[in-house]
Amino acid sequence: MTAVIEAEHLSKWYGQVSGLNDVTVAVPSGITGLLGPNGAGKSTFMKLVTGQLRPSTGTVRVCGDPIWGNPAQYFRLGFCPEQDAFYERMTGLEWVTALARLHGLSPDAADAAARRALETVDLLEAADRKIGAYSKGMRQRVKLAQAIAHDPALLILDEPLSGLDPIMRRRTIRLIKDWGCAGKSILVSSHILHEIEAMTSNILLMHNGRILAEGNVYQIRALIDEHPHTVSIRVGDPRALARRLLTDEDVSSLRFEPGVVVVETPRPDAFYSRLTQLAASGEGGTIEEVTSPDDNLQAVFTYLVKT
Amino acid sequence: MSSGQPAAGSGQQPAAGSGQSFVRSTMRIFDLSLGEMLWARRTIFMALIVAAPVFLAVVSRIVSANGTAVLRINGERVGGGGIFGVMIWILYLKFIIPALGVFYGTSLIADEVEDKTITYLFTRPIPRRSIVMGKYLAYVACAASVVLPSVMIVFMLMVPFGEIGRSFGPLLGDLGIIAIGLAVYGAVFLLAGVMLKRPLVAGLVFAFGWEPIALLLPGYLKHFTIAYYLQALMPQAMPADDTLSLLQAVVRDVPSATVSLLWLLFALVIALILAMRAVESREYILEQ
Repeated sequence: MTAVIEAEHLSKWYGQVSGLNDVTVAVPSGITGLLGPNGAGKSTFMKLVTGQLRPSTGTVRVCGDPIWGNPAQYFRLGFCPEQDAFYERMTGLEWVTALARLHGLSPDAADAAARRALETVDLLEAADRKIGAYSKGMRQRVKLAQAIAHDPALLILDEPLSGLDPIMRRRTIRLIKDWGCAGKSILVSSHILHEIEAMTSNILLMHNGRILAEGNVYQIRALIDEHPHTVSIRVGDPRALARRLLTDEDVSSLRFEPGVVVVETPRPDAFYSRLTQLAASGEGGTIEEVTSPDDNLQAVFTYLVKT
Repeated sequence: MSSGQPAAGSGQQPAAGSGQSFVRSTMRIFDLSLGEMLWARRTIFMALIVAAPVFLAVVSRIVSANGTAVLRINGERVGGGGIFGVMIWILYLKFIIPALGVFYGTSLIADEVEDKTITYLFTRPIPRRSIVMGKYLAYVACAASVVLPSVMIVFMLMVPFGEIGRSFGPLLGDLGIIAIGLAVYGAVFLLAGVMLKRPLVAGLVFAFGWEPIALLLPGYLKHFTIAYYLQALMPQAMPADDTLSLLQAVVRDVPSATVSLLWLLFALVIALILAMRAVESREYILEQ
């Protein structure tokens, strides 16, 4: 398989702090998951790959060409950043159209491309609303829309599922898989194994600025299952949801924080499937946000580093 | 989500090698930035600042209608045209234009970095220098569209109706000087915004500390101000009735209009080139 991203002895230093340390990796075409706990260096790697940062040492090439100082590369690259940053006063359509225009599209072509992209992420109905009035999930989706509007061959998605509710999470995962099937190459980061696993079996494991492992996700699956998975659910009625969840064998423990139910589960796949069903049925109240602290992943990384 | 197919399918992926042309990219950034800028909170602040001279002109008009002299210099009553000239120099050129230059110029790139929206611009197939130029041109257009109408309203209120035709030429000159002032201050403070960590403080010190002091001092220091060259472009000599102005008159060393224009153009071009080079080569570390 040809590599779409090649890094050789790539390092990045922020003053005295190392963000990425001597990484040599070739990311193949197709979908690749970049997995690691917060602070592992995923975002630094993505910023280097998208030409926002210049390597301190080493090289990074995208589709065979350097990216830093080479704006033509962005014709074939779409980037969805992690940060929740927008021109809040613009509508979703205005924003995506304006960014598509920067790819050289005429006003009509940019408008059409933006509408298609918004439709793809199920946001066309809200296209004329100001981004400032969007929910967190809608903001995440409009970020995806601006990344795909110019039809790039390579998509770099930094934590694209962050803050999405279970249904949108599942839809977005399906969408990313479909893009992969349509021939796009995608590098997607997450600190949640089962999210990456749902999209691809090809992963890069990062820890402390290094690539710890690369290859098939199932090789570390057994390790991760030994550690209970923590899920934090923001919901309108936490106690009602807790009552529903307690009947489930997939929940090993449960505690409350203000407006939030924090669940530990030994079987995250089964639990998320159940949670999606609950969200769709409305039982247990409206689920606003699902997040997963990376405690369990950190434990696996600690184990991998020791061995 | 409706479809798994890629969104656009327009396939606009030319061979790698170069992005879009500088001029074309600049105009697109200009389009994007102008709309944002016109409706920004900062523009409301700018409108309030330029409303102050209009308010003063209305008050002056009401006072003069009662036969009272609004301004006397050396015991002589100053007419509406003279007061207009004073307002152009003291209110606009010495306060409003530098203030707008500081608040807008320093924030043109810094705001995008602080809001973390710069990522969306830096990951497009356009040269980074076009982002600087497009935003700068949007600032000039936005500031001029707010300030110049204010000057014209003040002119209409201050200059007697019978003198409007005769004063129209000097008015055009004043508008031109103000536009030049907006452009040069904006470029200089844009450079400060991309080079310095605290550009607003540095800009305020330059505009309201360094410039007034340097203009008072004999010698060459005043050559390192923008106000010195703008002052030389003023079509009419400023009336002087206080010690400060008399002191300024003593040390006055006025270059010709052509020399002033060339220096202002030089400052503008150099500031823009340095700002564009800085943004081209700089990494912006955005905290998550």
